[in-house]
Amino acid sequence: MAKILIPTPLRHFVNGQDAVEIAGATVGECLEKLTTDFGDLRKNLFNDEGKLRSFVNVYLNDEDIRYLDKTATAAGDRDTISIVPSIAGGR
Amino acid sequence: MIQIEKEAWEVMVAHARAAYPRECCGAMLGVEKDGARRVSVARPMRNAFEGAQEDTYVLDPSEQLQVEKEARARGLSVLGIFHSHPDCDAYFSRRDLENSCPWYSFVVLSVKKGEFDHANSFLPNFDQTAAEKEQLEYSI
Repeated sequence: MAKILIPTPLRHFVNGQDAVEIAGATVGECLEKLTTDFGDLRKNLFNDEGKLRSFVNVYLNDEDIRYLDKTATAAGDRDTISIVPSIAGGR
Repeated sequence: MIQIEKEAWEVMVAHARAAYPRECCGAMLGVEKDGARRVSVARPMRNAFEGAQEDTYVLDPSEQLQVEKEARARGLSVLGIFHSHPDCDAYFSRRDLENSCPWYSFVVLSVKKGEFDHANSFLPNFDQTAAEKEQLEYSI
């Protein structure tokens, strides 16, 4: 079971939990199961095409999965998955 | 509504002035209750943009991860992100909107000639196509 840390603004979609334990072979599977179990969360993480929204970065422990195997990155027991929004801008 | 406590606000303004004429950025930590966000801690962050920072900011995702951990350890939440607009008004620009997310409050501080001028807060939508202005209160 991997542990997915839930950012505060999304906790009300998961019954107020700050983390959810999910069984899945990959990070992508874990996120799919998370958003199946908690359907209202899905719109926050995935777009209408079922792809992760552009502002959603996902970390496995302290590694950005974009530099691993993206959503195919293996996830196992004792792994922690973090959701971190990508933020930038300018005048 | 977002309320920023005096100490946090002073940190934000000091960070914006110190970065001038470059854009600064950082996170706002606190608690949310009954739809109101109250910020007790402002956490300055580095502008990770590698080009001219006079009109651009980028948060370092690994630093964001650390800030998220800090917030959890202190029993607080990351409620929003702040950044500065040197020598222009505190509007939410097209680039601010396109690179935002709908989970946070986005506070923009206008700094003119090195001094704080005014600030506004915005709440972007899911598709990053529009942002509504949010009531902002801070203590000087």
